[in-house]
Amino acid sequence: MNVERRRARAAAVLGRQPASLGPVPGERPAPGVVTGEIRDVSPHLLVLENADGDEVRLVIAPWATAWHGGDAAPADLPLGARAIVRTAGEYGRVADRIWVDITRFTGKILRVHGTRDLTVELDCGPHRGRRTITIPYRATGRIQVRYPRLEPGYLFDAIGTLGKGNPTALFPAASQPPYRADAVPAPPLTYAVPSVQVGSAVWSDAFDEDERGAAYPRLERSDAECDQAGVTCAALPYLALGSAVRVENQCTGRSAVVPIVACGCLTGRFCDRCVECGTSERGRIVELSPASFVELGGELSKGCFNAGIGLG
Amino acid sequence: MTTTIALASLPVIVPVLVLGAVLKLAAVRRGAEPEGLGGLGPTVLLPERLRRPAIVLCALVELAYAVALPLWDHPLPRWGAVVFFTLATYVLVDLKRRRPEAGCGCFGEVSRKPVGLRSIGRAMALGLMTLAVALSPVTAADLVAGLSWTMLGWTVAAAALVLLLSPEIDEMVARMRYRAPCELREAPVEDALSRLTASAEWRERRPLLVSTTPVDTWRELCWRFFVYEGRTADGDAVDVVFAVHLDGGRHAPVRSALVAADGTSLESLPESIPVSA
Repeated sequence: MNVERRRARAAAVLGRQPASLGPVPGERPAPGVVTGEIRDVSPHLLVLENADGDEVRLVIAPWATAWHGGDAAPADLPLGARAIVRTAGEYGRVADRIWVDITRFTGKILRVHGTRDLTVELDCGPHRGRRTITIPYRATGRIQVRYPRLEPGYLFDAIGTLGKGNPTALFPAASQPPYRADAVPAPPLTYAVPSVQVGSAVWSDAFDEDERGAAYPRLERSDAECDQAGVTCAALPYLALGSAVRVENQCTGRSAVVPIVACGCLTGRFCDRCVECGTSERGRIVELSPASFVELGGELSKGCFNAGIGLG
Repeated sequence: MTTTIALASLPVIVPVLVLGAVLKLAAVRRGAEPEGLGGLGPTVLLPERLRRPAIVLCALVELAYAVALPLWDHPLPRWGAVVFFTLATYVLVDLKRRRPEAGCGCFGEVSRKPVGLRSIGRAMALGLMTLAVALSPVTAADLVAGLSWTMLGWTVAAAALVLLLSPEIDEMVARMRYRAPCELREAPVEDALSRLTASAEWRERRPLLVSTTPVDTWRELCWRFFVYEGRTADGDAVDVVFAVHLDGGRHAPVRSALVAADGTSLESLPESIPVSA
């Protein structure tokens, strides 16, 4: 199934002019994104090894900030850790925000055990399998404030670090939906589908490094070969793998056209709101790869932005 | 007069109680959360551990009254039902004041709309009906004995009053009349395929197809696309792409194009049409 050609084929048969993929040119240039493993770091220079094995040297801007389980000084970042770097400047070689070892745990709770440190087993969807994570005692309070039901059947979404083979949840990514994962409320009755859907855009680390793309929840089950697809809290129209969506970050005004590369089986089950800038409409409408999320001006450690999406 | 009202009310109160109990139990069984998006009524005012038992208890009490009222000529269920609906009225007023966003939960998940004057009015009306039944103890046997067109008229009027005061009816009517836009409707692939094979576009392109089994199919908004391997008259490999509109039944528009491997159309484009149409 060659989904990459679907967009061109659909355009040819319907006489559409598809927009080119990537950031939509605006008043301000879109930030660049570089990912890789940290090879060397000093107060002014960051050296990464990217997925192709090439060395990428970045100047650390004086105003640059870093995240490594919390705010950190760029010069203190550990060697060998995975980094996602937002770059600024004409040539994309100035690092102005660095996230290190950041990951996100989104899924349905299967099992919770432990008394001080909690171990949580998550079902992250049919394509992503199961993950076992740890919530250290110091983080249980702040996570349980937003996720009071750490019980099997409920949804969970937290941001944390990859650790060394021990994924650790540190911050809640949103507030817990009050219903079970298999009792998602029906979308409101809609009589016409607007050209732009509004809601919350989130990110996931279930994409390849450097991949630009999105997981969209409203796919036909037969097309996505996923019997859990199509469940959404928001009234989203059907699209397909290979379609493209134009995503606008309503907090920064940046837009990009990103291809749909995966099924957001779990994304649509979250009927929450993003409060990054004002309160978004209810429901997650798209799940972006980290690179696309950052290119659109999103802050990975916050987890979401208010978004509008339309067919790209 | 009280006896007439009591006889007319009994066939209204009993189904309301049964329906309320069944829908509450169904909501609990389905795992709906009392505070989830509209709530299941006054239980949102209770501590979390008591919410589910409270809904079940309320449903069981309703079922008990629904059985006892038509069968047992005793003051206990009759005045008990009066107390039940009086309490319900008070609780709904309190709920409206303290949690204005919560639904009344009277009929489980169907009653998601925030409590309003209609819900409160319905509880009051049912309270007055049960008062009539308490003052003039009638049973199902009396109902059968006193069956007449006049009685039927009174019963219809009582039922109409309850329906008029039920905000759930608006939602049900809206859902029954609702037809989702085609972008939101599920559309089986087989239906689109049968529309395609019945179309003139298919008959025209059929000689070009190498196989009648599509190599790819997907759905985007109101369109279902099918791709077939084909060969032009010159023998060049080409993709034959069909787009079937999912709205419009047997006469739904069907478009087609011959597309090269690089995605460009090998013929003049069809008339441009809105992508969301």
